[in-house]
Amino acid sequence: MPYPDLPDGFADQHRSVWVDIDPGLYDPEVGHRAYHDYLDELEYAASVGFDGICVNEHHANGYGLMPSPNLMAATLARSTDDAAIVVMGDSLALYNPPLRVAEELAMVDGLSGGRLVAGFPVGTPMDTCFAYGMNPLTLRERYHEAHDLVVRAWTAEEPFAFNGTYTKLRYVNPWPRPVQQPHPPIWIPGGGSVETWEWCAEMDYVYSYLSYFGYKAGQATMRGFWQRMADLGREPNPFQAGFIQFVGVADTDAEARRLYREPAEYFFNRCLHLYPPFADPPGYQTEATVRAGVEGMVARAAARSADRKKAPTGSSTDGSFTFDEMVERGYVVIGSPTSVAEQLVNVATTLNVGNLMLLLQFGNMDRDLTMFNTDLVAREVLPEIRGLFEDEWEHRWWPTPMGAGRRRSVGGVR
Amino acid sequence: MDIERREVATGSGPVTTFELGEGPVVGFLHGPAGLDEPTACMRDLAVDHRVVAPCLPGFGPTPGDPTLRTVHDWVVFLSELTDRLGLVGSRWVASSVSAMLALELAAVRPEAFRSLVAVAPTGLWDPDDPGVDLYSLSLTDQEAHLVADEEVRTALATLPEGLDADGLVELGVSRYVRRRTAASLVWPLPDHGLADRLHRVVAKVVLVWGAEDRIVPPSYGERFADLLPTATVVPPIVGAAHLVALDAPAAVAAIVRDDSG
Repeated sequence: MPYPDLPDGFADQHRSVWVDIDPGLYDPEVGHRAYHDYLDELEYAASVGFDGICVNEHHANGYGLMPSPNLMAATLARSTDDAAIVVMGDSLALYNPPLRVAEELAMVDGLSGGRLVAGFPVGTPMDTCFAYGMNPLTLRERYHEAHDLVVRAWTAEEPFAFNGTYTKLRYVNPWPRPVQQPHPPIWIPGGGSVETWEWCAEMDYVYSYLSYFGYKAGQATMRGFWQRMADLGREPNPFQAGFIQFVGVADTDAEARRLYREPAEYFFNRCLHLYPPFADPPGYQTEATVRAGVEGMVARAAARSADRKKAPTGSSTDGSFTFDEMVERGYVVIGSPTSVAEQLVNVATTLNVGNLMLLLQFGNMDRDLTMFNTDLVAREVLPEIRGLFEDEWEHRWWPTPMGAGRRRSVGGVR
Repeated sequence: MDIERREVATGSGPVTTFELGEGPVVGFLHGPAGLDEPTACMRDLAVDHRVVAPCLPGFGPTPGDPTLRTVHDWVVFLSELTDRLGLVGSRWVASSVSAMLALELAAVRPEAFRSLVAVAPTGLWDPDDPGVDLYSLSLTDQEAHLVADEEVRTALATLPEGLDADGLVELGVSRYVRRRTAASLVWPLPDHGLADRLHRVVAKVVLVWGAEDRIVPPSYGERFADLLPTATVVPPIVGAAHLVALDAPAAVAAIVRDDSG
């Protein structure tokens, strides 16, 4: 949900899109229109047959205008009927007390008649440590404690006391309680740490790899996830994995390249213009992740390799990407419906991912083009990629809404 | 110079401690760079003192302790450490975050130190003069803000000779862990309420600053002095940044010598 009017030359004139982005760039009237456009687009996706619609949480961020995903989810719960409301998600450590998450998501689950997916990210360092001042040293401990509180609050049959290190409550007794029992499905957005893979395996949660750098860059991470699952004796059920992918479809490959060049360039060269130290405060990475990174560097140095593991950078002198690079590297999947369907089938089967989260609006893509893209994907791409895994695997992590006969119509009165 | 290295048992695990020199005892608490071996300042001071320098948990050879989450946890730990070292009521030197912890301990346990040379302590916050946010800088810029002397900086960044691959990995992880530990003590701001407690400190405090310190600007010396009952401010040391004892080891050692307690 990017702010659509970051100026030309933004990356040259401003240090970062995140944390200390110039507040003077924000025009509330542009924001007003953007919120309604984005909600229209999500509602439209639900109306044309997408299985779910996603919202997320970011702070002080020019490419993510949703500090509160739950506000947006509540709106969508009223304005849609059948699509899952996928909150990807609430950064648990940022809520005080985290019981608030149990309450608000129970409200969304109630409003939507049991259509909620509850995503619980640790949160990026920009959001958590810089914008919200969380101590990197204790962030993950705080997150896990908050998770335990939320899940117990949803499932306990009696009021209980919670004596955590960071949260102490004499009476935990959330009203309302979620429609879905014992609780809504839980998905964990992750960045590739071994600890998160193991935790998803242990808790039987969906692991969602949310990278903006596409399926080619994501292969190593997803291979690592599935290898770890195999090591732990878990079945390779593709529905236990999620993956995000930028997609732009048009009638022809050439037309798609013409239509989506500007939004893609806007996203990758303005919305991802991040001041690097904001991405790595000391303590945000676990010691195991740091060790793995240092071991990799030492090994490469020993092999006298010039390659260094780092986030992908563009070929230009300022690190920006050309559109051709974005397409070539798989950051964006662009083309005709046939071409895109083939590529997405390849993404899903190669990564063994049963939950594809398609970014059909990106950068400064306007409402009309987003709806065009959404409509074309729904009509001509979704039929080709649906049902890839259903014959072999059960999706145990999808919402289980109330039956249609028990659900009240969500139509308003005006 | 003989250097004795021993492990001091504490509730946070064994604390690696270096002892060197002969003479009056001075406890020495390192700054955010941690402590792998006695520094030039410690060696200078050890010419006529017995220097006792513990490595705090997570700052080098002493492993981190996950139960040290808050400044309160650290002050309780430091109180125990001074007991275990047998240095309650001794003269101490402390730098940056450890100087903040020492002042916190002196506020709640007045007998802890006879005197304290506090080198660029963190712990106060002036919104009109906040200093640079060290951990929002690149690693290279962090080093440049911590140490002014390029030769010292280069020496700090240079890998020890003879390290094998495993040793390099352990060193890389250790450097990350000590940055993590130091950052945790000042994150997101260094103000944990120390200003309200400094009036309880009875130990004589000597405040030392580097003139080039942009992390805790030299102006903070007067702020501390205004809040401490018995404090003197040494004129800022020219050519020194935040880690004054690394930039100007002889000058800091001389100040400690002059601090007769």
